[in-house]
Amino acid sequence: MSGLGPLTARDLKKWYRNPVSLTTGLIQPFFWLALFGYAFSKLGAIDPAAIDYAPSYITFLLGGVLTIIGLFTAMFSGVNIIFDRRLGPLSRFLMSPIHRSSIVFAKIISAMVRILVQVGIIILAALILPNGLIFAHGFTVEGALVIVTAVVLVAFIFSSMFSIIAVRITRPDTIFGILNLVNLPLLFTSYAMFPPALMAGWLSTVAQYNPVSWSAESIRTVILNGTMLTAAQGSQLLTWLGGLALLAVVMLLIVYFVSEKEIRE
Amino acid sequence: MMKAIETKDLTKIYGGHLKAVDALNIDVEEGEIYGLLGPNGAGKTTTIKMLTTSTPPTSGTAKVAGYDIIRESLKVRREIGVVPQDLTADEDLKGYENLMMVSQFYDIPTAKARETIERLLGLVDLKEAADRYVRGYSGGMRKRLELIIGLVHDPKILFLDEPTLGLDVTTRSQMWDYVRQIQEKLNVTIILTSHYLEEVDALADRISIIDHGKVLVTGTSNELKAKLKGDIIQMTFRTQGDEDTIKKYPNFIEIKDNGPNSVRMKVQNSDEELPDIIKYISENKLAVTKMTVQKPSLDEVFLEYTGKDIRVEESPGDFRKTMFNMRRVRK
Ligand SMILES: Nc1ncnc2c1ncn2[C@@H]1O[C@H](COP(=O)(O)OP(=O)(O)OP(=O)(O)O)[C@@H](O)[C@H]1O
Ligand SMILES: [Mg+2]
Repeated sequence: MSGLGPLTARDLKKWYRNPVSLTTGLIQPFFWLALFGYAFSKLGAIDPAAIDYAPSYITFLLGGVLTIIGLFTAMFSGVNIIFDRRLGPLSRFLMSPIHRSSIVFAKIISAMVRILVQVGIIILAALILPNGLIFAHGFTVEGALVIVTAVVLVAFIFSSMFSIIAVRITRPDTIFGILNLVNLPLLFTSYAMFPPALMAGWLSTVAQYNPVSWSAESIRTVILNGTMLTAAQGSQLLTWLGGLALLAVVMLLIVYFVSEKEIRE
Repeated sequence: MMKAIETKDLTKIYGGHLKAVDALNIDVEEGEIYGLLGPNGAGKTTTIKMLTTSTPPTSGTAKVAGYDIIRESLKVRREIGVVPQDLTADEDLKGYENLMMVSQFYDIPTAKARETIERLLGLVDLKEAADRYVRGYSGGMRKRLELIIGLVHDPKILFLDEPTLGLDVTTRSQMWDYVRQIQEKLNVTIILTSHYLEEVDALADRISIIDHGKVLVTGTSNELKAKLKGDIIQMTFRTQGDEDTIKKYPNFIEIKDNGPNSVRMKVQNSDEELPDIIKYISENKLAVTKMTVQKPSLDEVFLEYTGKDIRVEESPGDFRKTMFNMRRVRK
């Protein structure tokens, strides 16, 4: 896929060279954990059963926080396509003999790399924080793989979705509007922040079909139970990851065909 | 020999009715510098965008480097270098990094890319600035960088869309030198657009004047001037009587009043005609207070074909556009 390497390298270079984006990216995970973790844990009234007998609220919440980090970073990944169009680099890409889909895939891949770095940091942060993350059943390679897979798939799905929207949008404020419209609803109609037991019935039904829930619950499953899962837990986990994978494949095809044809100045 | 560029009724209609390019037919020979001269909004950029496969034509077609711009657009893109009217470099990268990234788009091996980039940086005197971020470049440096970004893959054909727009006069003539050197040293065919007459006059081997998306006339600068048939001699006399007498001079193409006691005389060849005119003046004891000879310039050519003076062309809207472009260049 010609052009993908240099374009991805460009995005990552700009990311790690920008001290503000780098630091906020590193601080943000702490914020998430501290704010949500402590805000909810001080409620004190949560029935331990509602959070699946997690040893701490942060332990319960981590799957959700990792997913949200993936979701939010991914959603913004397409915005730079619009700026590249405004500022000129996009026309250079379009007149070069590269695959046009590389322009979009580079954004998606660089977003996934950034997200994985953040995920690593957030897990470390959770371990360090008092009353933080506890792996009651140990932490295995398989567990890590599940976490990475879930986050990568969520990142891929949502950065594809918003990058492909950006392909046909010329104004940054349009995409910011769309982002603001959907980010919180996506979050609050999922199991990312709240245990299913605490959700209103109808909301819980909606949340079952939200891919954000699938990722959050997959990660939660391996964090709380390690990798020695019951048959029911195992097949549930595969269903969630399978659903995410299927969506990712659909998005991949859409990104490929739409960007090859539709991306223009 | 194969033509570098050949268009056939190339047409672009925006939004269903705005004919930006109207059945354009041009041929560009290999190795020449070909100038497209036209006022703002003439369709120059649109033509370049179609030829460089950035925008598809509404109808008609073209071959660039022997490849069809629609069916073989990827091959066309491999053979051409483009320096568009607007800047394309990434400001958050260094000059060198921009050049390297574009080299990689063409799958050029790193060692060879390094060598080419060094040579190109030297050619436009940008070696010093190569390791600085583009956001710190001056307008002229940006334009020079753009010029060589279009050359990293040794293209056969180079498209230059308004290469000196927004630059001051000295920087502009410096750019002309770079363009000439590129054409000589790198042996590329260059197609250049401009609305500066001096620019195409100084650089282009052949020129097409275009307006409203149509070619009005094509030829070398000298051919175009020769088509005007004749030089202009302007004379001012002390009295009206003298002016009337000069109008009886036997050998001119045309003579017109040009202000009080003044005439504008068109003659076949001023070099040969002038001695006779002076003889006529002294024989008739005419009192001349002023006399100027004008060889035809592209200005007159332009005026003749488009019916307007290129210098007063910019309407308020276009002026804003030019200012916008200048801001883009200088920012
Ligand atoms: N993307 C577009 N959508 C609609 N109209 C356009 C578009 N691009 C150009 N036009 C119109 O097409 C006409 C030709 O524009 P073009 O940019 O090709 O002119 P130009 O000769 O390059 O002018 P300039 O000297 O100002 O750069 C203009 O009337 C312009 O408004
Ligand atoms: Mg133009």
